[in-house]
Amino acid sequence: MTPVFRPIRRPIRELADAVRARRVSPVELAETFLERLQRIGPRYNAVVTVTRDRALSQARRAEREIAAGHWRGALHGIPFAVKDLLATSGGIPTTWGAAPLRDQAFDFDATVIERLESAGAVLVGKLAMVELAGGMGYRQPAASFTGPGISPWGVDAWSGGSSSGSGSAVGAGLVPFAIGSETWGSILSPAANCGVSGLRPTYGRVSRHGAMALCWTLDKLGPIGLTADDCGIVLEAIAGPDPRDPTTARRAFHYETGDRSGRHFRFGMIRGVADTAEDAVRDAFGRSLDVLRTIGTVVEITLADLPYEAITRTILMAEAASAFEDMIESGAIAGLTAPEDRFTAYARDAILAKDYIRALRLRTVVAREADRVLSELDALVAPGRPALASPIDREFRSASRGNVPDVMGAIGNAAGLPAIAVPNGFNEAGLPTSLQFMGRAWEENAVLAAARAWQRLTDWHRRRPEGADAG
Amino acid sequence: MSLPDRAPAEVELRLALVLGRYGGRLDAEQTEALCRAVEAIVEQITSLRGVLLGNADEPLPRFIPFRGDE
Repeated sequence: MTPVFRPIRRPIRELADAVRARRVSPVELAETFLERLQRIGPRYNAVVTVTRDRALSQARRAEREIAAGHWRGALHGIPFAVKDLLATSGGIPTTWGAAPLRDQAFDFDATVIERLESAGAVLVGKLAMVELAGGMGYRQPAASFTGPGISPWGVDAWSGGSSSGSGSAVGAGLVPFAIGSETWGSILSPAANCGVSGLRPTYGRVSRHGAMALCWTLDKLGPIGLTADDCGIVLEAIAGPDPRDPTTARRAFHYETGDRSGRHFRFGMIRGVADTAEDAVRDAFGRSLDVLRTIGTVVEITLADLPYEAITRTILMAEAASAFEDMIESGAIAGLTAPEDRFTAYARDAILAKDYIRALRLRTVVAREADRVLSELDALVAPGRPALASPIDREFRSASRGNVPDVMGAIGNAAGLPAIAVPNGFNEAGLPTSLQFMGRAWEENAVLAAARAWQRLTDWHRRRPEGADAG
Repeated sequence: MSLPDRAPAEVELRLALVLGRYGGRLDAEQTEALCRAVEAIVEQITSLRGVLLGNADEPLPRFIPFRGDE
């Protein structure tokens, strides 16, 4: 008797093999994950909309195509969900996590969704997020009309912002992979808090057409999956130039999976990068360095003395204030969920044009400095997030708010550099910690290779949260 | 509206701009929070001013002239 195939929390390649071999059908996969989104999603405040009709239609089509011998590739028939800042047609709302926009709808699909569906993937839902991707200055997890995002690793632990639903849905096995967005920390943080892998691509690698704009020169879309390999597979499907987003680069991306055995990596670590991290994060990072030294060298790097966080924060604050000028000036932000989001953005009128342009000029200095360092390395390594998931009913520490240092995030986002966060341990309470690899611009393959090598040596990415049904 | 005594001149000027536009929408607690936010912004901007930039240090990305047929 053929054993029943259990699709929950399996990497994409395992699902793809099963679909191609017809051990499981796209419709069965869609039904499984639709049911989980519906039944388990509310436990984590992870889901805004379950796209049942669209998913089943796509899944049936995938099933017919595969039965006819037309297999499109690893994503064919694989369910996925997106952060609810990506436009969807067909009357499916796109809420941006904001109560005043609960009924917002578009008549087109974001490029990322189009590309995933062209690859045969099946859209099963739209996932919760911090309202307006956190751009109004939120200070605590209860900043979305769907409630505070909850990590599958702790009933009162935050799933991280702002791609909170994308992190917890993957972590809890509600979808095989999801799309998130990062302006500063919004892919790496939920990946860290939910014990999964999250890839922030190089700025301009992935089209943002149809995505809510928070900061035009900082926003990136990227995958969150169980493994680095999952992220690579998804990135290949969504990357590439798009005439509808003039910031996309004319560079094709081919995901390189040919790992050379015995490859020797060159890792760098900014001096003191983990000094201000929480104890469990710092300890896990220290142990990770020992593992990394078995596959490469780790050298300490000293960066030029620049106000990295202030530069990125100034750009973020100014662009977000402009992107949401209509909501701010009209007072519509008063309808947002987090009390601080209802007025904090007013302060950004205090940033003058000259201040913003100075920050942009300094960003050039940062980009050159980062490239100088990274040109000698495969990746800089650091904790994926300096703090563990905070309790959902308390204020959190955040670099974008300025009360915790995050030089890696400030540099990586200001300079638009790729980075991946992967699980690297747990604290005593069972909350995950993570490790990030950040590379030179356009070198996603280098950080993915490093992260894959890490995941071949460790099993943190295979751990399952107890709270989520094994299914 | 009187500003907190502790506000130095630059904070005071920038805060006046903010409160001039939005002060009527704010309660006392929110006004105090905005004062702290503007102080943080001024501190942030001051740190940016501490870095020497030359005439040729230009921002990225550069503006690209647009043509709809290209």
